[in-house]
Amino acid sequence: MSLAILRLLHLADSTFPIGATAHSFGLETLAAEGVLTPQNLQSVLGDLLWETGRLEALFGRLAYRCAGPENAPLAVDRWLQLNLWLAGLKPARESREASATLGRRFLQTVSHLETTLTLQQAQAAARAATVDMHYCTAFGLVGGALHLGEEATVLAYLQQSLMGLVSACLRLLPIGQGRAAEILWSMKSQVVAVATATLAIAPLDQPTPDLAACIEGVAAFTPMLDLASMRHPTLATRLFIS
Amino acid sequence: MPTTHRVDGRLHLCFGRPDPDAEAQLQIKQQTPPLRVIRAFPTADHTLLAHIHNVSGGVLGGDQLRLCVEVQADTQVQLTSTGATRVYRHRPTYADATQRTTIQVAAGGVLEYLPDLLIPYAGARYRQVTQIDLADNAGLFYWEIIAPGREAHHELFAYEELHLQLDIRAAERPIAVERLHLIPATKPLQSLARLGPYRYFATFYLCRVGLPPATWLLLEKALQEIAHILTDQQTTLWGVSPLPAHGLSVRALSMNSRALLAGLPHFWQAAKWALYGQNVVMPRKVY
Repeated sequence: MSLAILRLLHLADSTFPIGATAHSFGLETLAAEGVLTPQNLQSVLGDLLWETGRLEALFGRLAYRCAGPENAPLAVDRWLQLNLWLAGLKPARESREASATLGRRFLQTVSHLETTLTLQQAQAAARAATVDMHYCTAFGLVGGALHLGEEATVLAYLQQSLMGLVSACLRLLPIGQGRAAEILWSMKSQVVAVATATLAIAPLDQPTPDLAACIEGVAAFTPMLDLASMRHPTLATRLFIS
Repeated sequence: MPTTHRVDGRLHLCFGRPDPDAEAQLQIKQQTPPLRVIRAFPTADHTLLAHIHNVSGGVLGGDQLRLCVEVQADTQVQLTSTGATRVYRHRPTYADATQRTTIQVAAGGVLEYLPDLLIPYAGARYRQVTQIDLADNAGLFYWEIIAPGREAHHELFAYEELHLQLDIRAAERPIAVERLHLIPATKPLQSLARLGPYRYFATFYLCRVGLPPATWLLLEKALQEIAHILTDQQTTLWGVSPLPAHGLSVRALSMNSRALLAGLPHFWQAAKWALYGQNVVMPRKVY
């Protein structure tokens, strides 16, 4: 158990070398236009957590279950389907590509650290089918393959996503480390609530719920951020790739 | 749990050619009120244009509507509505109003599905499920504009619930998926993560199956220039992005519907010319 916690802390750390700090997922556009401010940052993050965070938490949870119990074969088709659906749910190219780049690097990096058949199969299958591997589905799958605990994996993914966005905002907005820590600390109960909300769609007692039904149950509505991500390539000056 | 249905409207349209040399025709396979199509008109570019009527004047609480559209091979079709889709107040003893649309476009077919605004009235509860399947080399131009309510009656986001579900699949893979569940009373839409200060939102999908990714990146740049010209941060934002494959989406947020209705045809024209070498023909009606 303690090894699982240590591994999860390592995987969710912002220094894990996949390049996550290079992405703002559209927040840079909102900050550049003066729409995102230190005053509204926490409420924006809270809404993002509920919309995009919940969506990705669900996909991470479903990906975790693709690994199956110990020595079980990877549910390859289901894993690929999850990634295809998720790509369709991400309307903005930069954010979608960021998610795919981080997912690919995450799986590659973990595979170098820990050789597991499940992760090798997942990467080979995605390459063969020309399917992008997204960050949340990669994170979930790694959690499942390394038996890190489903709840802990989903929570860790949400926590590191939120930390990544706050870290980006530290460079985009006039806020300090202290304020950033306050925001992150005060949002922990929201992170738990979002992770718990996904259980209503994919209950623990249904290891392989119908994917189409799960995706019908999910919802995400972030048009301002989608548009910000779509318009990000046209910003005159950019600190972030997305 | 209210389950009473007010009406079960069905409309099943099939557009195709009886033989390869014949003009395209509309076959109405099923038509029950309140959905109705009178006839299809050939436009100047030999596209078949049909107007979908809802003869009850809007979607009433409990209505269960189904629209099925088949576009057969090498047939070009333009579908539009005769006016805005008004979704009336929910009636407690009735099920939520539902519109289910399934669309299939066969190889070489093109569908331009360009309905007017969706206006959810105060107290409305509405579920819209749209599934579009595109075969190889099939084309799609599909926009949707959602209003905040009846602005003239000072109804802004006064509807109860809007559930919008869209799946566009090409070569049996999802290329665009939307799952919107809007409950303004509990999840304020004016949040900066959602609509921010804007009231109307629009999405426009422009697809042609089988074209290489480079085509879409080039078209993204061209349409981004239009988006840049049309964007006025005070009133309307436009954005363009390729789908994972086979198409692009244009999104917009606006303070008013006029900017959206005026702007969307610019993207349509540029994309149709780039993808088909054809000019657009606006639907026959007053804008």
